[in-house]
Formats: sequence, structure tokens, C-alpha cells
Amino acid sequence: MKVLLMGHPNVGKSVVFNRFTGVDVITSNYPGTTVEYSEGSMRAEGEEVTVIDVPGTFSLEPKDKAEEVAVEMLEKEKDAVVISVVDASKIERGLYLTLEIIERGYPVVLALNMWDMAKHKGLNIDVNRLSEILGIPVVPTTAVSGEGINKLASVLKSARPVEVETISGRAGGRA
Amino acid sequence: MSLTVDERWDLIDRISRETVTVGEYKETLTDVIGEITIKPMTGIPVVIASLYLFWSIFGSFAGFFTDGFFVKFFDQYWLPWWQLHFPDTWEWLYYIVVGDPLADNCLEAFGMLTSGLFVAIGVVLPAIFIFYLMLTLLEDVGYLPRLAVLIDTILHKIGLHGYAIVPTILSLGCNVPGVAATRILETRKERFVMMTLLAIFVPCGAQLGIMQQVIPETMGLVLLYLVIGYFVTGFVLSRIIPGKSPEILMDVPPYQKPLLRNVALKIWMRMREFFTSAIPFVLLGVLMVNVLYLAGFIQWLSSTLSPLFVYWFGVPEATVGPLIAAFLRKDLAVAQLSVIEMTWYQMVTAVVLVSIYFPCLATFIMLLREGWTELLGSLAVLIVVVTVYGGFVHLVGILAGVA
Amino acid sequence: MDYDDKGSVKDIEGDLQDRLACMGIRKGKTIRMITRQPIKGPVVVEVDGADTSLGLEMAKKILVETDR
Repeated sequence: MKVLLMGHPNVGKSVVFNRFTGVDVITSNYPGTTVEYSEGSMRAEGEEVTVIDVPGTFSLEPKDKAEEVAVEMLEKEKDAVVISVVDASKIERGLYLTLEIIERGYPVVLALNMWDMAKHKGLNIDVNRLSEILGIPVVPTTAVSGEGINKLASVLKSARPVEVETISGRAGGRA
Repeated sequence: MSLTVDERWDLIDRISRETVTVGEYKETLTDVIGEITIKPMTGIPVVIASLYLFWSIFGSFAGFFTDGFFVKFFDQYWLPWWQLHFPDTWEWLYYIVVGDPLADNCLEAFGMLTSGLFVAIGVVLPAIFIFYLMLTLLEDVGYLPRLAVLIDTILHKIGLHGYAIVPTILSLGCNVPGVAATRILETRKERFVMMTLLAIFVPCGAQLGIMQQVIPETMGLVLLYLVIGYFVTGFVLSRIIPGKSPEILMDVPPYQKPLLRNVALKIWMRMREFFTSAIPFVLLGVLMVNVLYLAGFIQWLSSTLSPLFVYWFGVPEATVGPLIAAFLRKDLAVAQLSVIEMTWYQMVTAVVLVSIYFPCLATFIMLLREGWTELLGSLAVLIVVVTVYGGFVHLVGILAGVA
Repeated sequence: MDYDDKGSVKDIEGDLQDRLACMGIRKGKTIRMITRQPIKGPVVVEVDGADTSLGLEMAKKILVETDR
């Protein structure tokens, strides 16, 4: 199984990657630390999993070379599971990229990273409801401290592609 | 199937209405500091103060270890021991490994195990250690994006935007990650201008360290020449290279407390890089220069290029040797320059030349990976810049009456 | 829009809309100007507790109705 870590710049994808694989890649607090992809492997539920840390991107329409790498990676790995890493305190724009990936037919797991920061900011996210609407596993994580990382690894297998119409149907009333 | 942009946002609004509740948000001290350091009135003084702090810590830390320990160790114990104990059966081998048998310090001896190790471990190691420690802290705290905002206006004048400060600062550690970081710039024009400026004008941590050691008094002038060159060349390039220079559009992340584990890990990775790739290159550089001297190649090249160096750049013809070493390692080249007999202004000119002339091999390979056209373009700019700017530095010296 | 003003985004001109939307700046959002750098420098705005920096030309294309 192959897993792609995708998400906006500076949401902590590389930190998750380091946690998963034990391979160390450089992480910082500025957008665009990762400009090339790195590959590592881990064991999840007794299975060997290849994990790929992808440079951050805002959308699937690339605007610089690092983002091009990200989109190319996604297009190349047709049968990968995507972990969409989102900054929990900026969940709306994170959902945008997540939906784009879901629409392309990939099985997605949503990681609400920087959960501690979001809580600190007074943000409350109904994780179960969100998972129900999206029809995908949603895991709150705080990658820097390792919180939620094991959970994230354990739900990888349950990720399935979802039709966006179903999501829309479950999302309740028109805006 | 896929949604249109508006449909997608509409869906997100519906989802978030059901799942997200925003509580009362209290402004924290971090937010306040975040705003203070990004507003021009308060932010710019903070930039200047941090630069000054960075610089003084760099200088005193590196000086403390190099002068306080390594110089004594290498000059009083290491060098004499090798001069005494290395078998002199083959004169050429002695010359390559130990160097000058009469030298009384490790800069003059110029053997692989004497000068090579002294430069790599005695001078450069402490310098890049402290540099990376401070750089890592800046990175992890989240200061770089704020610096980018503050400097945006100035960098627009040279066809870049504020974010270009990130590759520039990374290059001050080592040009290789600096060049890699140009990929976050949006257009090809920006990337080309940035790469070229990095390769020519930004000295790496190793070079800063050795300059600090051998020309502490005039280093400021060298850096001033490099900064001026960076902006002038950028200004010219941004006008002749076709393409767009977009505006900045960037997230400014909140400040975070750096995690000890992460800082330690990053420094460890960067130091490992130094041990596995930089030190062998320094030693290889000494080897190559010594072999070329023994073969008479450097003497031949020096006399051939003599007119260019003596009349145009105003430096002794002996500086050709260090320029050869600069292909492999710039720190080594500066160390070599330091033992050549010349006036202080010639030294400044020579160090500027070493800096702006060809990027070191590792950077060169990195440029190549970004594409042939980029590499050739950068080299063309480089040749013009070295010739013109080198002559300019000489001219300033003549006008000031010091050359 | 002025310094330290708060308001809601009314409209964003042209193709900028999509790019800014991905950064979290879109119609109906409350936006606060944090700083404005001198000499046509970039502005920094806050939307949903996240700071974003954008060039002045871009910022001009965002129409904001300020709260008084």
C-alpha cells in the first residue's frame, strides 16, 4: 500500500512523515520547507506501507514548481491512499483541497492536525459528524507531540473513495 | 464527477456549519509579538536588532572555539607532530599530506592533514554549528515569513518578492538548500534571477566562518561589496530577463515555541551533511591544488592569466591558485588567500573575487538539476559579473587611493 | 481599506478570486487589516484567525465593506 501525505504548506505534513517512518526530513515553521518529495516506509496493521511526503499545495492547480511536484505525485500514484493533512484551525480551506482530492476518486483520510492549537483558539470541531458527512475517516492529530498518529495509521485501511454527490446529500440544508 | 469552485465552497460552508463552532478567542502574547514584529514601525528595528545579535553571536562563538582552542591545538601540537613524524621518503607525498615542513601555523603549511583538517574542523565547524543553531531557531519560531513581508518592497526592485529572502538566508548556511528553495518562487524568471544571485553573491556559512578568522577587520567591506552586487545585478537582471514578477501571496504562520527535539534533530542532520560531504571535499581540494602545483599547472596558469589579474583586478597573480581551489570549496580558497603576500585592499578584492566567481561544485550540480538553460544562463551572467564587478572593485580602490 | 480596519469581503475581482479563496479569503468573510508596509509594500490581513500577506495590487482588488 502507498500513502501520500498532502495538504497546504506549513500544516505539518513532514512532521507526520517523521512520526510515521522514523526517517528524518527537515521541518520548519515557514511555508514551503519541503520542495521535493521524500519516501519512507512503516508498518501499519501488520502491513508494509510506503509513505510519501509531498510538498505543500493550496489546490490542484499548481502555481509554483514545488506545487507541480505535488500534483504530479498525486497523478502518478493512481492507487494510493491520500492522507489530507489539514490545519484544524483553518479547516475550511483545508476541506477545499480535501474535496478536490476526493473528487478525483482517491480514498482519503482526513487528519485534523495542530488540534491543540485549534482547541486553544476556541475552535470546536464535531469530528464524528464531519466523518459521517464526508464518509471518510477523520482523525484529530497533534503531530509535533505525536498525538493521534497511531490512530491515523490504524484507519488507513478503512479509507474508501466517496462520490461527492453523496457528501453533498448528507451535508444538510442549502446555504 | 467534480464540482465547480463555487459549488465546492458552498458545500464546505454547509459542512462547516454543521460541524464547526467557533468559541471566544483570546488574543495571546504570541499574537501581540507577532503583530509587533510585522508592523514596519516596530518590525524594522527588530530586524536590525536581530541581524546585529545574529552577527555578534556568530562572531564571538566561532572565535571562542577557533582562537581559544583549535588554533592552539592545531598550531602547537597537531602540525609539529605531523611535520616531525610523517616519513619524508617521498618529498611529493610529504608535500601533499603535511605541506611546508617549515611552516609554523596550519594556514601556511597547506597539507591535506594539516591545513585541510584545520580549515574544516578548526574554523568552519564551530562557525557553521552556531550558524545552523541560530538559523534553526529562526525557522522553527516562524520569523522568516515576517522578515519576507518586511523586505518585500526592497526585493520587488530586483524582480523578486519578499519570499526570496528565504532562499537567500538558507544560502548563507549552504548554497545547495538555498537553490532548492527557489522552487517555491512562482515564475521561471524569479527562479532564474534568484538562483543566479545566490550562486554569485551569497557566501556560505563555511566561507563566512573562514573570513571571520582570517580577515576579521575587513570582512565588513567584503560583505558590503557582495550586498551591493546582489542588488545591482538583481536590478539589471530583472529588467533584461523576460517574464513576470508576481506579487507576494503568503501565509504568515503564528509564532511557535521551537521543540528541542526538532532543533537538535535538524542540527544533527545538517552537521552530518557537513561531515560526510564538506570535509572530504576540503581534503580533496587540498590534494588537487597540491598536485596541480607539483605538476606546474598553477604556475603556468598564473603567468598566463597574470595580465587580467594584475592590471584588471589589481591582485597578485598568485591568487589564481586559490581560485582553482574555489571550484571545490570556497572556505579553502579564502584560507589559501590569507597566506599570500598582499595589501589589505588586494585581499578584500581577492576575497570578493573568490566569492563571486564560480559556485562551488555542490552548488554547480544543484544548478544543473534545475535545468541546462538555467545553468548556462547563470554562468553567462556570472562571467560578465565577475569581469565587470571585479574591475569595479579595483576601480573603487584606485579612486580611494588604496589599491 | 485602512489600517486596523475590520470589515467583510464584498467582492474580489476576476481570477484572483480562486487563488485567494484557497488562502481562506472569500466573499462574506470578516477581514482585518493588520499592517500595511510603506512605499507600496504588501499588506497583512487576518481572516478566521490566520494571517496572510498579499501584495498591494492584489489587495486593491478586494472590495471590503468596513464596519464602523
